[in-house]
Amino acid sequence: MSRGERTGETTPAPPPPSADSGFPAGARDADIRWQRPSPRLLRARRIQAGLVTGPIALLAGLLLGVAASPVAGLGTGLGLVAAGVVAERFLARRVAAWGYAERNDDLMVRRGVMIRRESVIPYGRMQFIDVTAGPVERSLGLATLRMHTAAAASDARIPGLERAEAGKLRDNLAALGETQATGL
Amino acid sequence: MTHLPPDNPPAPLPPDGPAAPPGGAGRLPWTERDTVWHRLHPLSPLVRAGRHLVTIGTLVLVLFFANRKGTGSDLVVNLILVALVLAGGVVSWLVTRWQVADGVLRIETGLVRRQSLRFPLSQVQAIDVVQTGLARVLGLGELRLRMAGADSSGGRLASLPLADAERLRQHLLSMARAPGSLATRAAAVTAPGVVSAGQEPGARDEPRDSGNPGDDRRPGDSRKPSTGVEPGDGGEPGRLIFRVRSRRLAAAIALSRPGVIAAAGIAAMIAVAMLNRQPGVFASLLPLAVGVVLAVWRQFNSDYGATVVVAADGLRLRSGLVQMTAETIRPGRVQAVRLVEPLAWRALGWCRLEVDVAGPRQRRENRSESRRLRALIPVGSRADAEQMISELLTTRPAPSRLPPRSARWKAPLTYHFLAWGSDDRYVVASRGRVCRKTTWVPLEKVQSVRWVQGPLQRKLGLASVRLDVAGKRVTASIQDRGTDEAGEILRWLPGLASDARTRHQAA
Repeated sequence: MSRGERTGETTPAPPPPSADSGFPAGARDADIRWQRPSPRLLRARRIQAGLVTGPIALLAGLLLGVAASPVAGLGTGLGLVAAGVVAERFLARRVAAWGYAERNDDLMVRRGVMIRRESVIPYGRMQFIDVTAGPVERSLGLATLRMHTAAAASDARIPGLERAEAGKLRDNLAALGETQATGL
Repeated sequence: MTHLPPDNPPAPLPPDGPAAPPGGAGRLPWTERDTVWHRLHPLSPLVRAGRHLVTIGTLVLVLFFANRKGTGSDLVVNLILVALVLAGGVVSWLVTRWQVADGVLRIETGLVRRQSLRFPLSQVQAIDVVQTGLARVLGLGELRLRMAGADSSGGRLASLPLADAERLRQHLLSMARAPGSLATRAAAVTAPGVVSAGQEPGARDEPRDSGNPGDDRRPGDSRKPSTGVEPGDGGEPGRLIFRVRSRRLAAAIALSRPGVIAAAGIAAMIAVAMLNRQPGVFASLLPLAVGVVLAVWRQFNSDYGATVVVAADGLRLRSGLVQMTAETIRPGRVQAVRLVEPLAWRALGWCRLEVDVAGPRQRRENRSESRRLRALIPVGSRADAEQMISELLTTRPAPSRLPPRSARWKAPLTYHFLAWGSDDRYVVASRGRVCRKTTWVPLEKVQSVRWVQGPLQRKLGLASVRLDVAGKRVTASIQDRGTDEAGEILRWLPGLASDARTRHQAA
């Protein structure tokens, strides 16, 4: 936990998404209180990207270095690492784009930079909620909350919640879902 | 859900329940004592193996011809193969049993991995009776329960004697309507006369057929099975509102995409063979051809003789040439209605009407069948579709709001069909390139609303709004609207849907 708290201090909390974020805006949007995933989500994403890029670059570089020429191997390896670094530049924006809001009757989730998405999921439509945490997320004390509806296309995932926050949100949503539940 | 104990006094009949036989005669084994376990029909392993018969046959043939030089031992291997499959079926039959108790259907199955499945009948979306070709010969039928979950598979009882399957289906459906009520359980038992009518060929078919001048069955149709029972008939009569015309169906399939692909493929094969003058080319293309022909055949088989009957328990659909399918869509379970008008069909004034019912996304078998939506009208005239739509929807908003001009750049090929419309009950959206698809979604069925904007859309000031429903794959997509309009829809639809839900629950 201490590691996570340290990260929380060094990374200032990003400002709440403004009206001109590119997401749709409505007349009564002042009521919507947007919340953000933990700032440590960026760190988790960086670690994940590094864990994917590093071994792949190493393996590809070694293979090509042995099979073809050392120059080709080095080039490929460095190229893949560069691709990882470029992807990292996008990570920050993507992480910053996540937002969720609990309204009276529904949960709103927004995400995406290139393809922007904003979902509205009524609490009454919730079938079940799951909270998952992969190894990287777990080590940072984070969790991903996903709300499932009867429609497979529904898209209600909130990554990078503080574990306590995720538990609270889960209980909150479950209670709301129970009181507002409607049949199919 | 409360369950009354089995020895409760019967409550008065609900008004919409099927008419109870006088004296409550004809009690079924599964209503006598609710805790009795039942077996499937002893011949079900055979039917089950029959499902793989084509595969096994091909395999055996291939093996046989591959090792033709060797003698007797290969035949033994083949026989062992067949025996193994059959033995597997017998074992699975031996370890499978089912029970109806307290508004729950329980199925226990599995030898190594024992499974105990519970299907609360109040959650059932639809119950189908399916007959494969072999099952029809043997007079058996398979009962399929469709539950709402997006990835859980429904329950299957394969196979039961057809008459039993029919009655069980009626019984389960009535229990599904009023869970735990003993009165409806008793009422579900159909009159004994109807039961025996199952053995008289066409006894229940004739009155309905004669009342329908639009009947297009070929004379001397071999479709009428020797068992005389067609699945899907309940005890009570319904109002026939649609029957597909066989000739039109054949023409329509020939003009649809698989038909055209099949024709083009066969033509290409013949052309290649003519040019090469080598029959060997044929052989190499044969698997492809078989696949295409099978796909076309499957379509024809599943849509042949499709009828839709409106009855108290919902819409009863029946169709099939060799494999018969009967299903009942309960009222209020339709998640979306879709009207499909392919290019060639539009010229002839034909269309296809599909409904989406909540259910598993894919079944292990019959994958192609479950991937498509259930077609109420496989092919019909516009008038047929209009009538069916008015049967399904109370109001019918037209897709009248056209997209902004800039959408032309993003979707040059679909622009001409893009439109949407709504009232306080339904949202309708249409799209498509050459094949126009119009989807109606009842607002009280909307599971979630999504606003999506890709990079190109952002440049052009567009966005799309998607309405998800609990069906297999239908999403009403209000495609490529102006950003302001899309944002407004996103803010305004959830409230409207919530109102619709409240109204729906109050009613």
